[in-house]
Amino acid sequence: MKFSYNWLRDLVDQLDTPPSELAQLITIKTAESEGVEAHGDDYVIEIDNKSLTHRPDLWGHYGMAREVAAILGRKLIDPVEPQEFPGSAAVRVSIEDHALCPRYSALVFDNVTVKPSPQWLQQRLEAVDLNPINNLVDVTNYVLAELAQPMHAFDAAKLQGSEIMVRPARAGETIKALNDETYTLNPSNLVIADSAGPVAIAGIIGGADSAISNSTTRIVLESANFNASSVRKTSSRLRLRTDASMRFEKAQDPVNTIRGLERAFALLQEVSPGVRLVGGLADNYRPIPVLPPVVLPLDWLNRKLGRAVPEDEVRRILESLEFRVEEIAPRVFSMFVPTWRATKDVTIKEDLVEEVGRMIGYDSIPPVAPLTPARVPPASPEREFHYSVRQMAAAQGFTEVHNYSFISEDMARVFSVDVSAQVQVSNPIVSDQNLLRTSLLPGIWKNIRDNARHFDRFRLFEIGRAIHPDGEVPRFTAAMFAKDDGASGVFELKRLAECLLPGVSVRPADATQSYEHPRRTGDVLCGETNVGRLFEFHPKMVEGGRAAVLDLDLTRLMQLQPTPERYQPLRRFPESAFDLSVVANPRTLIADIQSALEKLAGDALLSIVFLREFALPDGARSLSYRLTVGAPDRTLSAEEVGLVRTRIIEGMRSAGYELRL
Amino acid sequence: MSPEQIISDLHATSLSALEQATTLDALEAIRVDALGRKGKLAEVSKTFGKLAPEERARVGKLLNTVKQDLETRLDQRKTALDSVAIDVRLESEWVDLTAPVPGIRPGSLHPITHVQRELEELFVSLGFAIMDGPEVETEHYNFDALNIPADHPARDAQDTFWLKDGRLLRTHTSPVQIRALEKFGPPLKMIAPGRVFRNEEVDASHEHTFYQLEGMMVDRDVSVAHLLYFMKTLLSAIFHRDVAVRLRPGFFPFVEPGFELDIQCLICGGKGCPVCKHSGWVELLPCGLVNPAVLRAGGVDPEQWNGFAFGLGLTRLAMMRYGIDDIRLFAGGDLRFLRQF
Repeated sequence: MKFSYNWLRDLVDQLDTPPSELAQLITIKTAESEGVEAHGDDYVIEIDNKSLTHRPDLWGHYGMAREVAAILGRKLIDPVEPQEFPGSAAVRVSIEDHALCPRYSALVFDNVTVKPSPQWLQQRLEAVDLNPINNLVDVTNYVLAELAQPMHAFDAAKLQGSEIMVRPARAGETIKALNDETYTLNPSNLVIADSAGPVAIAGIIGGADSAISNSTTRIVLESANFNASSVRKTSSRLRLRTDASMRFEKAQDPVNTIRGLERAFALLQEVSPGVRLVGGLADNYRPIPVLPPVVLPLDWLNRKLGRAVPEDEVRRILESLEFRVEEIAPRVFSMFVPTWRATKDVTIKEDLVEEVGRMIGYDSIPPVAPLTPARVPPASPEREFHYSVRQMAAAQGFTEVHNYSFISEDMARVFSVDVSAQVQVSNPIVSDQNLLRTSLLPGIWKNIRDNARHFDRFRLFEIGRAIHPDGEVPRFTAAMFAKDDGASGVFELKRLAECLLPGVSVRPADATQSYEHPRRTGDVLCGETNVGRLFEFHPKMVEGGRAAVLDLDLTRLMQLQPTPERYQPLRRFPESAFDLSVVANPRTLIADIQSALEKLAGDALLSIVFLREFALPDGARSLSYRLTVGAPDRTLSAEEVGLVRTRIIEGMRSAGYELRL
Repeated sequence: MSPEQIISDLHATSLSALEQATTLDALEAIRVDALGRKGKLAEVSKTFGKLAPEERARVGKLLNTVKQDLETRLDQRKTALDSVAIDVRLESEWVDLTAPVPGIRPGSLHPITHVQRELEELFVSLGFAIMDGPEVETEHYNFDALNIPADHPARDAQDTFWLKDGRLLRTHTSPVQIRALEKFGPPLKMIAPGRVFRNEEVDASHEHTFYQLEGMMVDRDVSVAHLLYFMKTLLSAIFHRDVAVRLRPGFFPFVEPGFELDIQCLICGGKGCPVCKHSGWVELLPCGLVNPAVLRAGGVDPEQWNGFAFGLGLTRLAMMRYGIDDIRLFAGGDLRFLRQF
């Protein structure tokens, strides 16, 4: 929104603060200025529209002038001279739903002459980016820019019938608008209509057919108030934002329609001499609700600000913003909110903290530490655990990535995910990114393929949420890529899994997915609990190298973390160790032989470590283990150790294994 | 020859042999020859019996002196030879320390993780709890409870990702305010960092997925002065220097009064430069006193309690911290970028 400095000077008595200084003051006290530019002999202060969304009154110069007057302690000059419009109206107005149109006021003028506006008016409009068109249209725009009251002038000769109707559009009704576009409407759009059909889209744009032209001599001047939400929705649906719709969207003051007409009449007399008012005021409205006063206890105000503000200063500030202040008890004010702040802006006493706070200047409030008891905040163990996982992964050479939470249906199918069981986005940013990820694999897969273009080998991981219809599960997914046989990848990732959860084991998967290497895929287990998957990507999934993945459920990983509570005393008696080599079939698992040995060794076994494997000529594997045995209360004798060893050897033999001794 | 003469000669001969010895074995031979049980000095001492008592005392003293001297010199020489030997060995053990070493180097954490972790530690040190909320939220928590009206533009499809089941992807971390109030009630100091979503076209400065950090304190009579204190403390710690802050009016439905918090430009110190658009100030975060409607939605009586809240853009902070000019890099997964942190 652009403000003309000269315009503000018309409305604020003795405004002599230089424009750039004024812009700074407005930024600090009211709304953010985005800069000041010279415009002829004027200056234009641009205010960020986003900082005005809650202030319908600031969409006109008069509203801003009120702020400036309050900031500088100057007098505000009202450009509107009250007028009477007696007599019966020359036009009838009917409103179907006052919720959508709380007020519709109009005047009819005759004997108008359409011509260019005088220079001063054109300059004002140009300064604030409104194009001068002709004197009549320019007057409506001038009032819009000054009082934030959008207006519209119809050529009365082109309106059919004697009644202006404010009603929802009929389904499929069309209107050719002033911008020469034709819009197809539906009942969610409010229109102004004559007996032949829509002549304007309410609060947004007028129709081309009833527009002012050089031959116009008689006009109907509309000054109405429309429901903010309805205007915004129609404007959004039609992709049509206008100076009028931007203002109505902010919930304009229905009291303002009359002031708009009063101001327009005065201007018309200046730009179209001889103009004649026909009949009186047409004014259809529902009673404007009077809000109860807001009670403001001054001690409470001081406590919220954190600084004492003298009573008379509070009163001065609020009165300069045209709140009506009454002291209803000692140090308690009752505040009547002006109508232009009452549509949605100011309703509770907290709103008044802002009014007083910004005017005294927040820089006048010294920072103060609160006097609250020191408390240890509740811990967030999950978050701490996630950080420890991050640190561990990074220490093992993995770099953290972030991927989007969205995936496509194609991607879901690649990863064998049931599309119908996914949470779906109604309005995805790209039409195919319409599912929420239930797995981090699609993102990680993309990372692998992208980075393989730049690196021969790399490691990366992500911690993120898998989003299921019934909840969100934090997952850890790590990947390794190398331009060689990937078998080492799964083992490096297995080591990472063991670092993250001591005691995990990997079992070859019973069944594998199409993206997994059928012989290099396993479940990651802690005891009997599945905590994730370790696999190499199927070679068809990755070009130019091999990639392996570790995919873990972080919630389970955290629940299963070992928590040492009481230490184990150090052993006081020597232990004995011996090695055994078991000959096994080619695909016998090291872990299976190990558990068989463990079972046979019994209580005396302190530890068992796999040493090495040795391929035998017939394809069998010779698997060697070192077993350490001992007792807590004495040294085992050579005979006792020998007995354990013999028991294991015989047990293995009777289970069908040959031992190399 | 008199015994004195023999001892003196032996002394001189041994010393000269000692000088010439270059190995530990040669030294040992000299020692055995002179000082050994069957050595030359022992031989001499056998003749002492024939001497007169006063002569015997004199010669015995000389013998002891020579013995001690030889032992000392032998030790010194041995130490010198030892040191030469170890020097030779060490010299032969040269390695090229510039040789590259195999093995894995640490990877790196995401820049957002670094910034988020630093802030979390900071807030915990100030007594704040760290809270989490779901990324999939209900309209109630994301909008209604935060006093965002039913027809507010933020709810439109061009801003919010709506889900087919009627829920949505949270557009800010503010819903955690309500969840925290419901769970813990007042008094409460908490932050909630996390991933948020806006239905925006992606370009160098816009992302549909980014990170925020929500903060809230609820207690008796929390004031603007307290908010200023916390923000100043926080920002000085983030930027590792004393930071000047200012509040100016800003409108957000979940706070009243609402502020935009600016920090004095760290580049020019407030004098005005291109970074701060010559204003001397840089807009950093929105904040305010918690709107009573929000407290009520969280089950808290606003007549008894109130608070402040703020929202910090973690992604934006990381961009400022590291001078990152393209927001798409954060979710790009490019290790050439990520390995820099």
